[in-house]
Parts: sequence; C-alpha cells; structure tokens
Amino acid sequence: MPFKTAVTRAARAMREDLRLHLVAISSLTVAFLCLAAALFAITNLATIAERWGQEGRMSVYLADGAEGRDIEQLRMLIESLPEVRSVEHVTARDARAQLAEGADEAALAGVPSELFPESLEITLAGGTGAGRMAAIAERLTRFGAVEQVETYEGWFEQLETLITTGRVVAGALAGLVLLCVLFVVANTIRLAIAGRREEIEVLKLCGASDGFVRGPFLVEGAVQGFLSSAFAVLLLFAAFVAVRGELDATIASLAGVRAAFIHPAIAVALIFGGGLVGATGSALSLRRYMGV
Amino acid sequence: MAGSGKVVRPFAFFRAGNSAHNNPNNRPILVLEDVYKYFKADQPTLKGVNLSVERGEFVFVTGPSGAGKSTLLQLIYRAQTVDEGRILFCGRDIARLTAKSIPYLRRNLGVVFQDFKIIGHWTVYENVAVALEILSMPRRLVRSRVAEALERVGLGGRGGELTSSLSGGEQQRVAVARAIVAEPALILADEPTGNLDPTLALDVLTLFEEINDTGTTVLFATHDHSLLAARNHRIVYIDEGRVVEARKGLGAWADRQTA
Repeated sequence: MPFKTAVTRAARAMREDLRLHLVAISSLTVAFLCLAAALFAITNLATIAERWGQEGRMSVYLADGAEGRDIEQLRMLIESLPEVRSVEHVTARDARAQLAEGADEAALAGVPSELFPESLEITLAGGTGAGRMAAIAERLTRFGAVEQVETYEGWFEQLETLITTGRVVAGALAGLVLLCVLFVVANTIRLAIAGRREEIEVLKLCGASDGFVRGPFLVEGAVQGFLSSAFAVLLLFAAFVAVRGELDATIASLAGVRAAFIHPAIAVALIFGGGLVGATGSALSLRRYMGV
Repeated sequence: MAGSGKVVRPFAFFRAGNSAHNNPNNRPILVLEDVYKYFKADQPTLKGVNLSVERGEFVFVTGPSGAGKSTLLQLIYRAQTVDEGRILFCGRDIARLTAKSIPYLRRNLGVVFQDFKIIGHWTVYENVAVALEILSMPRRLVRSRVAEALERVGLGGRGGELTSSLSGGEQQRVAVARAIVAEPALILADEPTGNLDPTLALDVLTLFEEINDTGTTVLFATHDHSLLAARNHRIVYIDEGRVVEARKGLGAWADRQTA
C-alpha cells in the first residue's frame, strides 16, 4: 500500500475522531515532558562533571595576614610541581567580585571584601589521581601562609554519584514513558479500531490486504508519538528560555558553567523515537484486537 | 484494465465481458463440487452442494430463511471455509487459498449485501473509490472509473454527497457501484433488495441485469418470490442445505415441482 494513501486515510480518520486523538496526544506529551526534563537534568549534570572532571582543581585558602612574599614563594613552589597546569591568585576583592557575578549585587552591598578568603586557585593536569592530589594538599598545608586546602574530592564524588543516579532514574523513566506511550497509543488505536469496525469490514470485503487495513492505524500511532514528543521538547525549550537567566546564574555560581538545553541530536532522537514508539504501540494493538 | 499496469492481480484473467453465449467453449466461472459446510457437527448447513455457473450467467439463489443461501455466498468470497468438497473459481480451488491470497480473490468479486455495508460518514465517491484505492490505482483513473460506475447506477454527479443523506435505494446503488467499479468477473448479491420496497427492489434487480448484460456473472440471493416471478433467470433453490435447480424462472420451477 503506498505510504501516501495510508497518510491520506490516517489524516481523514484523525480529523473524524479529533477529540480522541487530542486527548491521547496531551497524555503522551506529559509523559514525554517528564522524560525530556530528566534528559535536561542529566545533560547539565554531565556538563558540570565534564567541566570539573577534565581538569583537577584545588583551592589553597591563605591565612589572614599572609605576607605577599610568602604567597609569592608558595606560588612558585606550586608552579614547579609537574602536575600543576596553572595557578591563579584570587584576592579577597576578586572573590567578592566572582560571587557578585552570579548573585544579587544589592544583597552583597554591605558585605566587606575582607570577609572573603584570599586563595590560590590551582588547575591540575588531567589524569591527576586522587592520591596525588591528597599528597600535594598535605604538603601545602604545612606552609604557615596556608589556612586550608580544598581538593573538592568529596564534592566531585557526590556529583558523580548524582549523575550516576540521575542516569539510572532517566533510564527507568525512559522505560516507564515507553510503557506509558505504548499503553496510551495501543488503547487509542483500540478505540479507533472499535469505531471503524464497519470500515475495516468493508475494506476487507473489497479485497484490502492486511497492510492496507493496518497502514492508516500505524500512521496514526506514529503521528501521535511524533507530535507528543515534539510538543514535549518544544514546551521544555520554552520553559528553558523563560527561566534561562535565573538558571544560568544559579548554575554558574555553583559550578562555573552555563545551563544548556538537551543536545539537538538527542532532541531529534526523542521526537523520532516518539514516532517509532507510537507506531509500535499501534502495531501491538492491531495484532491483538484486529488480528492483522 | 487499461492504465493500471502497476496493479498486482494474480487472478487478473478473471475478467468480465465473456458471456457464456459468445464463448461456449469457456469453462464455467464457478463450480461447487460436493460442498459441505458444518456449523454444528451433526447438522451440516450445506449438504453435498453441486453447482456450476457459466460465464455471463444471471443466477437467482433462493430458499427459505436459514436454508444456507448466505453461507453459500460466504464460501465463495471466503468469509467461510468449506469443510468438504471444493469450490473452483475460474478453475482454481478457492478453499485452498492461503489467508494472504484471499484479498486477491475478493478483488475479482463484487459483493453486495442487504444492509449495504457502506460507510455513512464517507461521501458517495469515497465509498466507491475505496475498491480502486485498494488496487493502488492512479487517482486520475480512480476518478474517471468512479464517475463511470456512478453513472451506471444512476447516481451520476452525486459523488460529493454523504451516503448517510441518501435514501435506502440510493445507498444500495452506491454499494452496487462499489461492487462493479473494479470490473469484477463475478458479482455476489446477498439479499440486496431485502431492505427495499417492491418498486425499488425491482429497480435494483434491473440494475444487476444491466450489469449482467455487459458480461459480468451475477449470483443474486433472494427469497422474494415477486422478483423470481418477474424474470426468467435460472433459479438455484436451496432447502435444508441441498440444491435443486430450475433453468428458466419460476414457471419452470413450478413445472418441475408438479412433475
């Protein structure tokens, strides 16, 4: 059966039973929106992990009243370490300015710069192990000008755990959404089959092949899945654009990266995958309720 | 079927247009050999039915309600399967067709029912065109063939109307147009006048006769004796699953009964 005929017949059937299909598409949109939101969260956590994982980071907080000469010596020593890629001296004023970038300036108006710790921000070469980082930290702590050394190891482990958990949750959610889509599409098509029994009977009496009878229903299922996943991606994108400013500030201040929407390839895969799952749900329903 | 080269029809040689009279050497279009159909194990609906229908014939199939008229037709368009015996359509045993081949058989048959079996929310055109869309026929050809079929059944120019808005007689004409539009070799009419008043019933019978005049074989099931009496066609009478025949109308039937 030519694809064009199936599409024409499906379009006519969907027009005739518009309400049923709209209800199905709205339900499926909610399901796909959950999945897209989970993918969005994963995307951003992964960006943070990538940013922090590519280069090891350490912050050496300097003691109050540390002399400039001691700081310079410390800096030279750190720079001489083979694992160190760069060292940046962040003064109390710089630290205040960095925080102010991602926060309400008015709220920080009364806070003096002296309250912010002065530090040396170290960027380590990729592949520096946790053991080596701990050894460097332990060595630096011995200096009198050093108040504390932060390796972010715990934070990074938590982030890794969060991403792993997020991926598991997204996977489970994808499975759940898949079942939900199959269920909703299969039931919609079942109702459509029931409503078009007479039409199916006429088609078969006229000599329609199973493919001819099945075609429009498959197209309907695919359209439902495609449209609902496309709506879900569009809704998520609209929400992302609406709150992007605030989201950027929060993520930038916490992790130093900008909020990112799900990758276009993933969005396209989600939309076409939705269509495929819709067609599958329809095929299952046809096999079960129509025997073709 | 000019212009429809793409259409795959394994039974393409089942074409209309060869009347028995013009081609006496042609084999019968339909042969039933010792056909049995059981719906209950000990009570066959059809008991050893033997029947032969020539190309271009018009045959009345009659008998009391429940005698097996509809079952006979259902066996021919494979809505039912024979339990014993065989049915040859153009020499091929249709009882042995696989499920995938049944659509190809039906594309060479036109079936008309008492309850019309047309889709009320479709237009007249859509109801008729569906029989050609199934054959993947080009749209332009579909349009001309549907227009021609509608003209033949007296519904020319009414393709755009919804079938639900038509009278019973007109709806049956739409069903007839759908049955003939693909130019089938054989038309099976299962009580097509059952829902129509006597005048309309006679009109519909005349319509089938006009179709038969073009060479299409017609099997017309009815229990309406006024129709049988109105024409001198061959009558196949089914009673309690057995077939008795009369070659020329009710008169011959009465003579046979008397004898």
